[in-house]
Amino acid sequence: MSEDRLFRYFITWLGWAAMLFLVFPVVLTVVVSFSGSQFIEFPPKSLSVDWYTNIAKINKIGEATLLSLLIAALTGLLTVAMAIPAALALARYDFPCKGAISAFLLSPVAVPMIAIGIAILQFFIWTGLPFNWLTLLVGHMVLVSAYPVRTLIASLTLSNPSLEEAAASLGASRWTVFRTVTLSQLTPGLISGFLFAFLISFDNYPISIFLVRSGLTTMPIEVFNYISQQLDPTPAAFSTIYIIIVSAIIIFAERRFGVISLSVKG
Amino acid sequence: MAGAATEATMPGSAGVPDLHGPAPKRQRYSGNRLLMILCLLLPLLGFMAVFYAAPFIYLTQESFRSWEGEDVAQVEPTLDYYIKTFTSSRTSRAFVRTFRISLISTIIALIICYPVALLLIRAGPKVRAGMLLVIFISLASSLIVRNYGWLVVLADQGPVNQLLVALGITKRGLRMVYSEGATIVALIHYIMPFVILPIYGSLLRIPDSYGEASVSLGAGPWMTLRKIIFPLSMPGVFGGTILSFAICMSAFVTPLMLGSPATAMMSQVAAEQLLVQQNFPKGSAIVVILTVSTFLVVVAYGVIVRRVMKVDV
Repeated sequence: MSEDRLFRYFITWLGWAAMLFLVFPVVLTVVVSFSGSQFIEFPPKSLSVDWYTNIAKINKIGEATLLSLLIAALTGLLTVAMAIPAALALARYDFPCKGAISAFLLSPVAVPMIAIGIAILQFFIWTGLPFNWLTLLVGHMVLVSAYPVRTLIASLTLSNPSLEEAAASLGASRWTVFRTVTLSQLTPGLISGFLFAFLISFDNYPISIFLVRSGLTTMPIEVFNYISQQLDPTPAAFSTIYIIIVSAIIIFAERRFGVISLSVKG
Repeated sequence: MAGAATEATMPGSAGVPDLHGPAPKRQRYSGNRLLMILCLLLPLLGFMAVFYAAPFIYLTQESFRSWEGEDVAQVEPTLDYYIKTFTSSRTSRAFVRTFRISLISTIIALIICYPVALLLIRAGPKVRAGMLLVIFISLASSLIVRNYGWLVVLADQGPVNQLLVALGITKRGLRMVYSEGATIVALIHYIMPFVILPIYGSLLRIPDSYGEASVSLGAGPWMTLRKIIFPLSMPGVFGGTILSFAICMSAFVTPLMLGSPATAMMSQVAAEQLLVQQNFPKGSAIVVILTVSTFLVVVAYGVIVRRVMKVDV
């Protein structure tokens, strides 16, 4: 039996090593953000919080972050709003070409991101549509719309349609049934769909880089430029703040809506 | 899948199973119902037809054009840029490199993620919740932030180099960033959640009794894993690795941050054609080749897993 125990040890050890690998760069980034050195150095020889105040020196970081927030929020809201009826049709009804339609709607996940950016860039040039923040919005919506469709279908398949029948048989109108029963059962799917859409849009670089024109810029583009031009640990301070905010959002969404359990089952 | 629960459906509709349920009986599509379904689908489908399907059709068409300096010459469709992509040493090498990096990253990610999924299954509820939280935060964190983390870890004065020097393996720090190896490490880190979660999902569906039966019949843990658990978790392995491979094939930000021009991947070469050279047909051709070849690998992989390994995924 000793070989079997060895095997168990090996698997367990490998699993924990992989988890360590997953958190290692994050922990290191946090440590380096408090370093007093002008360049990345570990372990830091002195401590400071200067890099946190230096975040303000990243080119246009304020307006870039505001634009990224606006686009991410609108992307999330609009794709979820369009995904609700589409997911309802796909999960609850049967119709011709259903497989093809669902494959089409879910396909942007598997297509190279820069392909979406390049295709939309050329399409806007070809049709003569103007390049402004709406171009960015359109690009991000194409990229992320598959996520709310997916999470909403997962929510709908887990939900219980007999509750809707019960409401209808008790005299509720179709709209009332939808509003009070269907929508409330959809909440976890709505929240995780919105979160995915928001976070993927907020972080997007490969599509934005093709669609920003006339002085518009987004947060990932400016942070990326800073990282490729400067060697100081300012991006480490920025990353630390980013990770803290994202962790808080994920923990809240899991406690309140069970987002993680839905994604794992779905 | 919840077969029984989907027998009943929304008021006013005939019994229809869910998306993955058994094939429905032939039924009459009343005009009214089709119209309602169309209305439900219309907002998203219409949006995607205009801003996703149409641009891709235009992109494909563009890739068959020839290009003369600033103008796109209106001549017969040509395969020029497809041929050039494979004959030019820069693009053909980028193509091979992209495949190699994607394959290596996916295989290593599978090897280190499968034990994580096994740990998740065996862990108590608190440890499991904590691990899932870490994996989800990693998934939700910015790609640029995560890649920056690797720039820190692999930096000339970074912890890995300090350790190597302290252990006396090297005298001075090694140059680890801006290389193919650094790109692979960061890509593995990026795709880990996409590999762990589907495998964990499929392990959840295997009843405990299967493993217990195997052990009680005298099979050790290794035999049980190889003969019972791994084949049954194949749908998760397939789903996770296929998505990871597609993500690596189209990687753009990671090789840009952790690689160098000498280790460029296909997305970088295509972007360079469009943003720097302004050669739209060539950039489009590279993008089409990248998309189609990724798709072909996905299909071939599916066929191999189904036919050769005889696993239904």
